[in-house]
Amino acid sequence: MKMEDMSLSGLDNTKLEALAQDIYSDLVEDACLGLCFEVHRAVKQGYFFLDDTDQESMKDFEIVDQPGVDIFGQVYNQWKNKECVCPNCNRSIAASRFAPHLEKCLGMGRNSSRIANRRIASSNNMNNKSESDQEDNDDVNDNDWSYGSEKKAKKRKSDKNPNSPRRSKSVKHKNVLLGPKPCCRSGSSVRAVER
Amino acid sequence: MSKDSQMRAAINQKLIEMGERDRLKELLRAKLVECGWKDQLKAHCKDVIREKGLEHITVEDLVAEITPKGRALVPDSVKKELLQRIKTFLAQHSTL
Repeated sequence: MKMEDMSLSGLDNTKLEALAQDIYSDLVEDACLGLCFEVHRAVKQGYFFLDDTDQESMKDFEIVDQPGVDIFGQVYNQWKNKECVCPNCNRSIAASRFAPHLEKCLGMGRNSSRIANRRIASSNNMNNKSESDQEDNDDVNDNDWSYGSEKKAKKRKSDKNPNSPRRSKSVKHKNVLLGPKPCCRSGSSVRAVER
Repeated sequence: MSKDSQMRAAINQKLIEMGERDRLKELLRAKLVECGWKDQLKAHCKDVIREKGLEHITVEDLVAEITPKGRALVPDSVKKELLQRIKTFLAQHSTL
């Protein structure tokens, strides 16, 4: 093949257009043939009509477009206002608050141990304070320990980090806990002091 | 004329060798699915098959029924885009 024979630039536009049309035509025919083969195979293998359902079933599964109902026809905020009875304390709790309540009630979950510890701490404080009023010697010691509540909070946090079980922690702190109200602060401010 | 046909053959060969023909084929297929052409033709196939009978349908029957309709159903936008790409290719590779 000689170079000059093969050059397209010498061709006029109509021929170029015709060539492009031919190439396009071939491509379309390829696509049609591809579809024919696909369909023929599906027919012979028996899965061509598989996705056809009869009219009645189609009606059953139609998309629902009513207000207050999802596309399957189910009511989706049905359980918002229902109340459940807690099996532990036998109280009636709202459905959306049920899971957190159960966490605290059963003593499982992340926050319930912290809250329980704090309650023990505060109840120990109350007990120890009433005792110290009666005993003279311990009064002096009580003053020393008054800011020990902060120390105890710090100690508590560092003990929390290694995976120590709950019981040993609260037992430890029973001996240490003396002093006034500061230890009864809410959980977030206790953490602030520790940091 | 034989010069023309030789040249056409050369162009087609170049189209295939550079992978452009496959790319164009894929592009066309994707566009036809997108615009619903495939679904339309498939529905037409169902009619043809129901008419001729599921057991006795042959590839030739399908080709004879489907291809002319398929050609006619290609949307203009798809046709224009493909022709444009082909002409661009021809312009870029005009000297062989």
